[in-house]
Amino acid sequence: MEPKTLVDTSMALGLPAPVWFIELFKWLGFSLHAVPMNLWLAGILVSMILYVLGNPHGRRFNARLMAQMPVIIALGINFGIVPLLFIQVGFAEIFYPATILMAWFWFLVVVLLLPAYYGVYLYAYGLAGQGDAMPRWKRAAGWVSAVLLVAIGFTFANAMSLMENVKSWPDLWQRHSFNGAALGTALNLADPRLWPRWLLMFGLALTTTAVWVAFDAAWFARRESPAYRAWAKDFSWRLYTVGAVWFAIAGAWYSFGTWTPDTRQAMFRSAWVLLTVVTAAAPAGVWVLLWLARKREGDIGPGWASLIGLAQFGVLGINAAGRQVVQHVEIGPYFDIVHQPTGQTQWAPLAIFLVLFVLALGLVAWMIYQVAKLPAQPDAA
Amino acid sequence: MHFPWWHVDYLTAPMLIAFVSVVHVLVAHYAVGGGLFLAVEVTHAYRTHNRDYLAYLRRHAKFFVLLTVAFGAITGVGIWWTIGLASPLATRVLIRTFVFAWATEYVFFILEIVSAFIFYHYWGRLPEKVHATIVWIYGISAWASLVIIAAITAFMLDPGKWPADHDFWSAILNRQALPQIISRTGGALLLSSLYVYLHAALTIKDAKLHALIESRSTRPALLGAVLITVGGVLWHVLLPPSAQAALYAAPVLNVLMALLFAATGIVFVLLFFGPYRNPGWIHTPGFAASVLLFGVIGMSTAEFIREAVRKPYICYNVVLGSQMLPDEVTRVRRQGFLESGPWTRAFVQAKYPQVVSGDGHIDRTRLLALPKAGQIELGGVIFQYHCNDCHAVRQGYSPVGPLVQGWTPAMIRALVQDLDRTRFTMPPWAGTPEEAELLVAYLADVSPPRPVGMLPAEPKTGAR
Repeated sequence: MEPKTLVDTSMALGLPAPVWFIELFKWLGFSLHAVPMNLWLAGILVSMILYVLGNPHGRRFNARLMAQMPVIIALGINFGIVPLLFIQVGFAEIFYPATILMAWFWFLVVVLLLPAYYGVYLYAYGLAGQGDAMPRWKRAAGWVSAVLLVAIGFTFANAMSLMENVKSWPDLWQRHSFNGAALGTALNLADPRLWPRWLLMFGLALTTTAVWVAFDAAWFARRESPAYRAWAKDFSWRLYTVGAVWFAIAGAWYSFGTWTPDTRQAMFRSAWVLLTVVTAAAPAGVWVLLWLARKREGDIGPGWASLIGLAQFGVLGINAAGRQVVQHVEIGPYFDIVHQPTGQTQWAPLAIFLVLFVLALGLVAWMIYQVAKLPAQPDAA
Repeated sequence: MHFPWWHVDYLTAPMLIAFVSVVHVLVAHYAVGGGLFLAVEVTHAYRTHNRDYLAYLRRHAKFFVLLTVAFGAITGVGIWWTIGLASPLATRVLIRTFVFAWATEYVFFILEIVSAFIFYHYWGRLPEKVHATIVWIYGISAWASLVIIAAITAFMLDPGKWPADHDFWSAILNRQALPQIISRTGGALLLSSLYVYLHAALTIKDAKLHALIESRSTRPALLGAVLITVGGVLWHVLLPPSAQAALYAAPVLNVLMALLFAATGIVFVLLFFGPYRNPGWIHTPGFAASVLLFGVIGMSTAEFIREAVRKPYICYNVVLGSQMLPDEVTRVRRQGFLESGPWTRAFVQAKYPQVVSGDGHIDRTRLLALPKAGQIELGGVIFQYHCNDCHAVRQGYSPVGPLVQGWTPAMIRALVQDLDRTRFTMPPWAGTPEEAELLVAYLADVSPPRPVGMLPAEPKTGAR
C-alpha cells in the first residue's frame, strides 16, 4: 500500500490566508505555548523531586512554582490553542488522519489534563492553607499531576511524530481497524524518531525550568531570603547544564540517528544548515549567560534575568522553527504544505483579529501595570 | 470518506462530541453569565459599601475561577479535540471558514484568563474602581466569546449564502446567529443565577445576606428566562424546513422537546414559587439544587436538540452525515463509494486485490463476484464510512441491526437505494448499485431475525 494515497488532497476549499501567515502564527503560537508547557512538563517534576530531597531552598522553590502553576497552566492551555488552530488550518490532511489513528490516546489528553490541573490546584491550595503540613494526599496530588503531564507530553510527541511518519500509517491502520475504520488504539511506538523527539523536548523543558528559577528569583522573590536567591542562582545554572546536556544527547540521537537521508540532506547540506547549527548551539548561549550570572557577586538582577529569559525564548523559538522545517521536509513527499491552493483570503476578518489582538495586548498590559504598581505585601513572617 | 473513520463501538464517535459539548456548555454558560453577574454585583457592592456582600462575592469568585478557568477551559479545548477526531471533514470546513473568528475569540479568551486571575488573586489589594473595571473586562470578553461561538454553531444549522459564495461574512452573519446569541445569553444569565442560588444556599448562614443575594440574582434569572423564550421562538421560526420537520417527525426529538419544555417550565415555576413568592425556599440546598438540576436538564436537552435537528447534515447544506460534501454525491455515485475515499480504496486494494483492475482502480463489476463473506465485509466498510456517523451496528446508539430487524433483503435494498427519500433525515445514498448490494448483504447479516411468536403469524414461504 502506497502511504501517499492515504492523504486526500482532493478537497476544494482553499486556505483562508497565505501559507506564510499560517506558518508564522503556528510557529509563534507554539513558541509562546512552549514556555508554560515546559514549566509544567519538567518544572513540576523537578520541584517535586527537590521537595523530596529536602533542601529547604529546593522546598521553597517547590512552593513558589506550585503556587504559580495554576496561572502557568491556564496560560499554557490558552497559548496552545494558537498552534492547534493553525495546524488544523494548514495541515488538516495529515493532522486528522494521524490523530484519528491514535484517537483514544489523543482523546485521553483532555481526560488526563483535568485531574492534572486540579491536582495542581489541590497542591497549591494545600501549600497556601497548610504549608509543609499539608496532608499526604494533597502532596500526592502534585506527583499525580507531574506524572500525568509527562504522559500528556508523550502523547503529544506521539501524535506529532505520527503526523510526520506517513509511511507508518498503512501498517498501524491495518493492525488497529475494524471494517476499515480506525479503532483509535494505534501508537507510533515503533517510530525511531519518537523517543529522541520526546526526550529532546524534555531536555528543552529542563532548560526552561532552569531559566524560570533564575527569572522568578530576580523578579518575584523580593520577599525571599538572600540565601534562597543565592541558591536559585546556583541551581538554575546546574539545572540548565543538565538540561543542555540532555538536549544535546537527545538532539544528536534525533538528528544523526533517525533523520531520513532527505532530511539530513536538507538540514546538513543546504542553506538550512545554518538553522541546524543555531538550533543545536543556542542553549549554549543561555548557559553562558547563567554562568556569568553565577560568577557575579550578588543577586541576578531583573535586567539580567530578563535578558536570560529572552534568550531562552529565542532558544525555544529557534527550536520550533528548526522542527517546523524538518516537519516540512519529512511531510513533503506526501503532502505539499506550501503549495496548497488559497481560497478567498479573509483580509477583513484577519485585520479585525489583528486590531483586536493589539487592543487586547494593551488591556493586558494595563491590567499587569495595575498589579505591578501595587505596594509589596508585608512579609507574613 | 476523506479521512479515516473512527469506529467507537456502541456509542459512535459523534456521540462523544455530544457528551463533551453538553458538559462544556453547562460550565461555559456559567462562565459568561457568572462573569456578568460578578461584574454587576461587585460594582453594586462597592457602590453600596456592603462588606458582607463583597466577602460573599469573593468566595463565589473562587468557586467561579476554579470551575470555569480549569474545567471550562479544558472541556472547551476538549470539544476541538473531539470534533477533529469524530467529524474531521466538518471541522476542516469550519476551521478554514472561521479561522479568524476563532482567532478573535481566542483574543477574548486571553482577556478572560488574565482578568479572571487578577480579579480573584488581587481582591482587596487593587483600588475598588480598578478591581471593578477588571471584572467588567472579564464579563464583556466572556460575552464576546459567546457571541462568536454562537454565530459559528448557528452556521452549522443555517449557513445562509455561504455554500454559494464561500464568503466569511455570509457565514458569520447567518440567520440563526441572532436567535442563538439571544437564547445563549439568556441561558448564561439564568444558569449563573441557579449556580449562585446553590452556592449561596450551601455557604451562607446570614438570612439578611441571603435575602440580598436572592433578590439580586433573581433579576438576571428572570431576564434570562425572557431571553431564552424570545431566542427559542426566533430559533424555531428561522429553522430550515427540514430541521422544523425533523423536530416533529423524529420520535426521539419529540421526547426531547417535551423534556425541554417540561424542564424549562419547571425552572420558571420554581423561580416563581421560590425566590418570587416564597423567598425562604431558595435558602435550602435541596430546593436550590433542584432548580439547578432542572436548569441543567433543560440546557443539556436544548444542546442535544440543536445537534440533532441538523440531520442529515453535520453542517446544514455544507457537510453530510456521511462525511462528504453535498456536491460530491453525484461524482461518488458514478465513481463508486469505495473508490472515492482514500481509506476505503486502500482497504479494498490491500484485502481484495482481485477486484482491482490493472490501473489500480476498483472494478465495480467484480465486487459481486466476491464470496459472500467478502461482500459482507466490504458492506461493513461502506457502513462504517457512510452510516456509522449516526448508527451503531448491533447495539448502542440508534443501532442499524434492530432498525432493520426482520426486513427482507428487498426491503433493505429499497431503503438503501432511496435513503434520503425514505427518511429525509438520512443522507442520500452515495454508491454504485453494486455497492448497494454489498451494504444490503451487511445489513441483512447484522440484523436479528423477526421475533418469533407474533400474531398474526407470518405466512409460510410459498403459502401465498
